[in-house]
Amino acid sequence: MIALPSIAFGGFSGSAKGVTARQVGGRSILSVRSWPTGQTTTAQVVRRASMSKITKSYKTLTAAQMQAWENLAQHCSGASVFGQKAELSGINLYVRLNANRVMAGEAIVADAPLGQVAVPNVEYSTVSVTPQLIVFAGIKHESSPYKLVVKMSGSQSAGISNGWSKTVIISSEVEDDWGEADVTKLYLKTIGVEPTPGQKVFIEAYWLDTTTGFTGQVFKDSVIVTGESSYTPRKRVTMDRLLPDHEQHVSSIDVDFSSGAPVVQFDVMCEGHSNVASSEAYLEQDLPEELRGTSWALGRGNGEDGKIVAQSYVMWLYGAYYSTPARITFAHRGGYYVKPTEVFGPGIIY
Amino acid sequence: MNFNSTGNNFGAGQIAFKSHQEENFVVLNAKFTYNPESPEYQAADVLEIYVPDLSIDRSAIAGVFLRFRDVRDSYGYTWDNSGGTVLKSWVKDKNTLCIEKLTNFDEKGEITIYVLALYTMLARGGNPIKGTQTRLQTTSENNYLRWGYDSFFVEFEHWVFLHMMYSGCTYAYRDSAWECSLDNLPSGITADVPFCGGGNQYNPSVDGMSEAHIENGVLTCQTRTAGFDDTGHEPFIFAFLVRDVEE
Repeated sequence: MIALPSIAFGGFSGSAKGVTARQVGGRSILSVRSWPTGQTTTAQVVRRASMSKITKSYKTLTAAQMQAWENLAQHCSGASVFGQKAELSGINLYVRLNANRVMAGEAIVADAPLGQVAVPNVEYSTVSVTPQLIVFAGIKHESSPYKLVVKMSGSQSAGISNGWSKTVIISSEVEDDWGEADVTKLYLKTIGVEPTPGQKVFIEAYWLDTTTGFTGQVFKDSVIVTGESSYTPRKRVTMDRLLPDHEQHVSSIDVDFSSGAPVVQFDVMCEGHSNVASSEAYLEQDLPEELRGTSWALGRGNGEDGKIVAQSYVMWLYGAYYSTPARITFAHRGGYYVKPTEVFGPGIIY
Repeated sequence: MNFNSTGNNFGAGQIAFKSHQEENFVVLNAKFTYNPESPEYQAADVLEIYVPDLSIDRSAIAGVFLRFRDVRDSYGYTWDNSGGTVLKSWVKDKNTLCIEKLTNFDEKGEITIYVLALYTMLARGGNPIKGTQTRLQTTSENNYLRWGYDSFFVEFEHWVFLHMMYSGCTYAYRDSAWECSLDNLPSGITADVPFCGGGNQYNPSVDGMSEAHIENGVLTCQTRTAGFDDTGHEPFIFAFLVRDVEE
């Protein structure tokens, strides 16, 4: 017969079967050993290895550095900086903060932060999950040193109400692009299969302060996977929206029609072609009528000869016409023509 | 709305701005100088201008103009090889306007920056609003100053986009102080504007850059850089200009 450990046994510590008892700060803690429910991912293996390395590195700290971690840990105890209340030792805090830093691509720090840091909470307006598109929209942007950590689960039964234990980190450095974060590729890379319509995906998200390793409150969400996305991405022309197998005269392009202002935003590297002072980008899809017109923007030479000449460019935004696909022509106007030239900034449109 | 900067990180003094501010974009006009030898400038990675609350809390990249002066005397002639280029600029947050730091011309001494830019936000849930292009009508004495087909403006209630392409000047006036009436330019525009273009023999990485002034519908330009009429370096003006009208 096995005597189950109990908190009544003050000072008890050790493991019996799947239960472990330990003493932390005068409290008896019992924990049931958990077993992984899925296959271990590469990211998990890497993270465990880094945790081990960080833990070992604690021994290399000076006594003063260790004391500083202990002091800070006392202030963090019971606080909700990690989204849960817990007693923390100096080494606990050292490992947690440095593990967060390493996850975000930063180096291990030996010195404890001077104090706790208030990290913003995650705010977004919608998340749309379909087999083809997983996108967060309306994210309240936070600048460096904050990085958004997103954890998601694979598809779960729609009847499950608490499945956040199934989430895994799909990225520790999601960058929103004007409030929009398309994590489709990251999700598929981590989870391995597309979400299933009608099932539920659990989400956890929080901001990570990469300087200190502190994190904000974990924002928990869940969403039913739909077959079609109700979310409409903003109107842009990017490299992946150019016509494949068609001659193009730009090496990078981002033309953004989402300002709601009297301008189109350009960020284009015009390579030019033949003996004509212009570049054409041919589009895979037609350009809607409301986006066609004429626009003007500034350019700056980006030539290997070091020319950084200021120029003006006119852009003609054409729709498809018979066999000619929709296209944007970047035609040089003012200043000395340089190949290549970066055309950037807002362009008035009429 | 006019306002003054509250500080900067590159040793310039207080900077006066004209602005028109909306929920999703701002138009800012300013002209200021800095000394590349100042320790503040040398310590800065990005030039930051601190301003009172703007209506937007960040922006996409816009372009501002950098101009250096390079005037040389040779055999009794004065050669103005002043020049410049475009710098990237953006609103970092409600109180910080950033300008890319370009050190290529630091040895030229005092640098002038012209902010004649529109800073827009993105993902605002709407298409761009199309304006109306109006061909610019100009008048100069005996038509000595001529402008190209691509000289036009797009008018809004509180601001104007202006693009001018220089076409030619009667030989007898080439070294005069130029004055040209911009007959149908909307009212309320007063600004120093960089006149980009023209070859720059001594600074071949850039074109020349002169300065023009617009006030009361008249464009004046006292002097031009030495290669102003060089073929293939077409001088132009590109500016988002705030109008002096009641907000």
